Amino acid sequence: MTTFLQILVNGLMLGGLFAIVSIGLTLIFGIVKVVNFAHGEFLMAGMFITWLITTRLGLHPYAAVIIVVPALFVMGALTQRLLIQPLMSARDDHVQIFATVGLSTALINLALLIFGADIANTPAHGLRAPISLGPVRVLTGQLYIFGAAIALVVALHLMMKHSQIGRAIRAVAQNRSAAELMGINVNRIYILSFGIGAACVGLAAVLIAPLYPTSSNIGTYFVLTAFVVVVLGGLGSIPGAFFGALLIGMLDALSGFYIGSDLREAVVFGVFLVILILKPSGLFGNRRALSHLS
Amino acid sequence: MHIRHLLLSAALGVAMAGSALADVKIGALYPFSGPLALLGDESARGLEIAVDQINASGGVHGEKVVLERGDAVDNNQAIGEARRLVSLVGVKAVFGTYSSARVIAASQVTDLAGIPYFELGAVADEVTSRNLKYLFRTNPTALHMGRAAIDMLAEKIAPGLGKDPKDLKIGIIYEDSSYGTSVAGHEAAYANERGLTIVAKSGYPANTVDMSSLVLELQDKGADVVLQTSYQNDSVLFLQQAHEAGYKPLAIIGGGGGYSMQPTADAVGKDIIDGVYDVDFTQYAVNTEATPGLAEFVAAYRAKYGAEPRSGHSLANYMGALAILQAIDAGEGFEPDQIVAAAKAIDIPDGTTATGFGVKFDETHQNERAWMMGMQWQDGKLVTVYPDKAAVAPMRFPVAN
Amino acid sequence: MSSSPTLSLPGGRNAALLQGAGFTAILAALLVVPLAIGNDFVTHIFITMCLMAALSTAWNLVGGFAGQMSLGHGVYYGIGAYAGVILMNMGISPWIGMFAGGLIAMVVGVVISYPCFRLKGPFYSLASIAFLEVFRVLALHFSSLTGGATGLMIPLNLGWTWMVFRERWPSLVIIFGMLLVTLAVAAAVRRSRLGFYLIATRERESAARAAGVQTVRVRLIAVAISSFLCAMLGTFHAMYLTFIEPAAMFSLTFSIQIAMFALIGGLGTVRGPLLGAVLLVPITEWARAVLGASALGLHGFVYGSVLILVVLFMPNGIIGFLSRYAGKQNAEDAAPATTQTDTIKAPATPLVPPAPDRAGIGADIMRVEHLNKHFGGLHVTRDISFTLREGEILGLIGPNGAGKTTLFNMLSGFLSPDSGSVSLRGPDGKFHTPANPADFAALGMGRTFQIVQPFAAMTVEENIMVGAFYRHHDEKAARESARETAWRMGLGPLLNSEARGLTIGGLKRLEVARVMAMEPRVLLLDEVMAGINQTDVRRAIDLMLSIRDSGVSIIAIEHVMQAVMSLSDRVIVLASGEVIAEGDPRDVVRDPHVIEAYLGKEFADAQA
Repeated sequence: MTTFLQILVNGLMLGGLFAIVSIGLTLIFGIVKVVNFAHGEFLMAGMFITWLITTRLGLHPYAAVIIVVPALFVMGALTQRLLIQPLMSARDDHVQIFATVGLSTALINLALLIFGADIANTPAHGLRAPISLGPVRVLTGQLYIFGAAIALVVALHLMMKHSQIGRAIRAVAQNRSAAELMGINVNRIYILSFGIGAACVGLAAVLIAPLYPTSSNIGTYFVLTAFVVVVLGGLGSIPGAFFGALLIGMLDALSGFYIGSDLREAVVFGVFLVILILKPSGLFGNRRALSHLS
Repeated sequence: MHIRHLLLSAALGVAMAGSALADVKIGALYPFSGPLALLGDESARGLEIAVDQINASGGVHGEKVVLERGDAVDNNQAIGEARRLVSLVGVKAVFGTYSSARVIAASQVTDLAGIPYFELGAVADEVTSRNLKYLFRTNPTALHMGRAAIDMLAEKIAPGLGKDPKDLKIGIIYEDSSYGTSVAGHEAAYANERGLTIVAKSGYPANTVDMSSLVLELQDKGADVVLQTSYQNDSVLFLQQAHEAGYKPLAIIGGGGGYSMQPTADAVGKDIIDGVYDVDFTQYAVNTEATPGLAEFVAAYRAKYGAEPRSGHSLANYMGALAILQAIDAGEGFEPDQIVAAAKAIDIPDGTTATGFGVKFDETHQNERAWMMGMQWQDGKLVTVYPDKAAVAPMRFPVAN
Repeated sequence: MSSSPTLSLPGGRNAALLQGAGFTAILAALLVVPLAIGNDFVTHIFITMCLMAALSTAWNLVGGFAGQMSLGHGVYYGIGAYAGVILMNMGISPWIGMFAGGLIAMVVGVVISYPCFRLKGPFYSLASIAFLEVFRVLALHFSSLTGGATGLMIPLNLGWTWMVFRERWPSLVIIFGMLLVTLAVAAAVRRSRLGFYLIATRERESAARAAGVQTVRVRLIAVAISSFLCAMLGTFHAMYLTFIEPAAMFSLTFSIQIAMFALIGGLGTVRGPLLGAVLLVPITEWARAVLGASALGLHGFVYGSVLILVVLFMPNGIIGFLSRYAGKQNAEDAAPATTQTDTIKAPATPLVPPAPDRAGIGADIMRVEHLNKHFGGLHVTRDISFTLREGEILGLIGPNGAGKTTLFNMLSGFLSPDSGSVSLRGPDGKFHTPANPADFAALGMGRTFQIVQPFAAMTVEENIMVGAFYRHHDEKAARESARETAWRMGLGPLLNSEARGLTIGGLKRLEVARVMAMEPRVLLLDEVMAGINQTDVRRAIDLMLSIRDSGVSIIAIEHVMQAVMSLSDRVIVLASGEVIAEGDPRDVVRDPHVIEAYLGKEFADAQA
């Protein structure tokens, strides 16, 4: 029984981890309609910056948020402006996928060039300390990740719902041409959205860095799972991504224990395919999900 | 002929400069880029130092040995680079390769071309189980690793813990590529042979981000001893997540990879890594009476690269390359069959090399004198503890409570 | 040396012939150069080029022609490789194994694609990646069949029977032959009904269905062919590698590469994938040879950067780039679903003098000068010029395909003309030439779409508010303005309904309302009366008149003649991209050119 509870809690915490990585991706996917294969490398970049700040300046890793989030915002905005926007008019929008694949390759290798192939270890400053909650144990840092994921969902929801910029973003996500006609500067909204999406993953990087070893290819570990989460959650639905992430986390933990660690990828992708085929709008994508990037 | 040459340079346009006035060329085929780059590069350094040493003492048959690098980033590339080395550069032999998959792919090519291939670091059984005519392997393999782990457990660790080895419940976990799979397979087979109890055997993808369910499985099945064969990321994850889950097996025995690397210890911290065992190629904190030449190698490494060796891979490659090059020098020439004959004639006794083991090839061309050592992390350092002749420190055991 | 093989490909004459010759030369070089040089490494590079070109060409049947961006084609390649090796270890020649692998891959392809064709765009891509991962994990797990992580090796039996050779040239000859077969299949598909059906399906599925295409079936056929070819190539490559393992055979990186060559060469073209492989494989090899050893990761960084630059500067692939560079479109690559009919030649100058001004019509507000637009080889609009005056309703009529909607797209900045200009008089009284939709909107331009494009899941009020925000930065004011506009447009009772629930008449009104909330000075209405009932037409006419009376100038595309006649102050008739008549509505409908354009030459002759 305790084991089962522990599996559920592990799954939940893993879900929180997947959620915080995926929220930024779902924003970009939902608004700019670009499958950003470099998303994992954004995470990797954020984790390396966190590592640098923490080790060089001896600060608490969470202090790096002041630098990492704006840095990632700029990185995302530049990606949209310099890489995606020029390709918006390409005959085939799949071109953008390959631009982001190129970016991903370049970033992984750039990290290899700068930091080498070794893992970089961000000091945990007590974030790895386990806490006992009744019969189960979690890490302080995992709890913070989970809390931050919820806070991020709520914050983005409020922003999308109640700010003018949020409305503009929703309008653009809904229908680019019509929004353009309404006088919304669509390119600016795209740059902003890409920036916000990247900033979200910057936050994720700061939170994850103390818990996981950083390496140049850490991003590839996360990116496929993040795509699964985003699609399950329904296109651009932020709460959907959150619950999708919890589902994947649970599935991962349960199948890892009961079916076998080597097969859990097959289980996760298998379930993903079944859901995708039966309900292409995503598990949590309902009729209103499209209008609510919130 | 002239036109051919022109076409060749035109078609390649590739910078092949610097290889012009070489005396005798040897291929160095390692993954120099991609995910295996770090240890591929570390392995190649061992070969480079061996070549330097040979050249300093007059070369091979009086000719200077020049290394031509080939980047075996993936299997197709390993084949392509092997072809380039053989047909374009005209190497007399290929040395490599660290990765089992790459050597298996590349050596099929060199064997068809009739060029000798010397494997100095890859551990999978399949490398030498194919009965290739021109392939030799100097290093110990997955079999040696599995056996050393079980032997050390049964003969040293269990008595030290005050247990009968048969009472220990063993959990085997491994990354599911060829490396982990083959080591784990040998561990399980040999443990069964010795009558030990295995309660869990689970593979997992090396790029996992979570091992908590694996930890729970081991806890659930009451594994006292964990054998893990892993790369760096998953070694760190397992050690950390086991610690955080409050799982304290009596012994953790790593199978090389991440367990032999200082960054792993730095990442998880001294408190967690201390007491953990490891089975691998010969490392540096070892009784040098059993490994003559090791100190000289380390000195040469420091002089050339300005740093400490990053793992035992360079040492294993150094020792193997040195043995082979010396044998070729003692042989009749650079023709493939002359090199093969020279390799077959090698008979280096145990305890006379920098890695401690001798060299003699069996009928599959595997070095039958190769063996692995057991190490333990003590005070944040990896020190050799097994077998006794190579040990520099006694094994430490958890204080019974 | 045997004569270089040629492959006749579809295409136009002249320029296409030249391109065809160049292509054939490249193709021949793939075989001739390595044979002439006779070096194993060079041969290996060329074998890799042929292999990637062939895989990519096969992929293109699904990814390019059918528009299903598969990033999991490694599945088929891997199945072929495993089938070939497993059968070879059972003593069966790979020549047979490749067909067995092909058949298995075909079945797998059809089975996994059938449910996935419901998925659009990136969803399909992600599903294909998921299948690839599942296959990889299964290949690792079922090690009794696949050898698991340690992989499978083939016995080194030399000779043509076993496809394993000591020399490299036989492998080159085999893969070159397979490349030719693949190219021939692609060319044949491209020319056949299947190809047209595939591309029609890709372009607009609903329209293709209306044309009687069984869209799922044609795409499944494409998948079947593509997976069969990929599997055969996989078998060949396994024999060439002599060693296979799941990580290499079911690799995402490799699958992405396959797609990338096609994309960089030219998606949906026959020749593109080959050009992509011929360009990129040597770059990759070069980067590795020159930079690989110098610093960890450097060549990967250069490779990634080169990929980005190639995509940025040749977004339509090499084929697109060449066409643009040559200033002409290869017939093969023009939008193929469009069949060009004989254009109707008519005098360029309007014959009818403008109708007398209605009271209240003011000065020019919009000037359209010499607009030209080409789509591929098609001249969609030809030297169109006219002006719109303040408070005027200008009717725009013409047969289908006359270029009306294209013209609208240019008038509102959604398309930029090849030449000519659209200028608008701003509030400052000066004429401006805006470049994009936002700039047009800023000058007071509003438009609707022929196919209504509501923000489907927002309420009517929210829809209109998006328009109203253009004028009101404060939410409250925008809401008030939106409500006011909604009531004016007769949408008041529906304010809180979701837009998707509206009738077509309602949607058309919503479309107008959203634009009106922006308080435009010039309004472009694209068939707002099409498909609505008689009562609604009456109401719409009244609505438009009231909009006009509020001082807005209107250009309306309309097919409902009743509306055109009663609304328009002036009418412009467009046919084959040209203005063939302009003036008073009653005069224009009697113009023989107009009758000819609408009803055909015979009818016009009979009238005359």
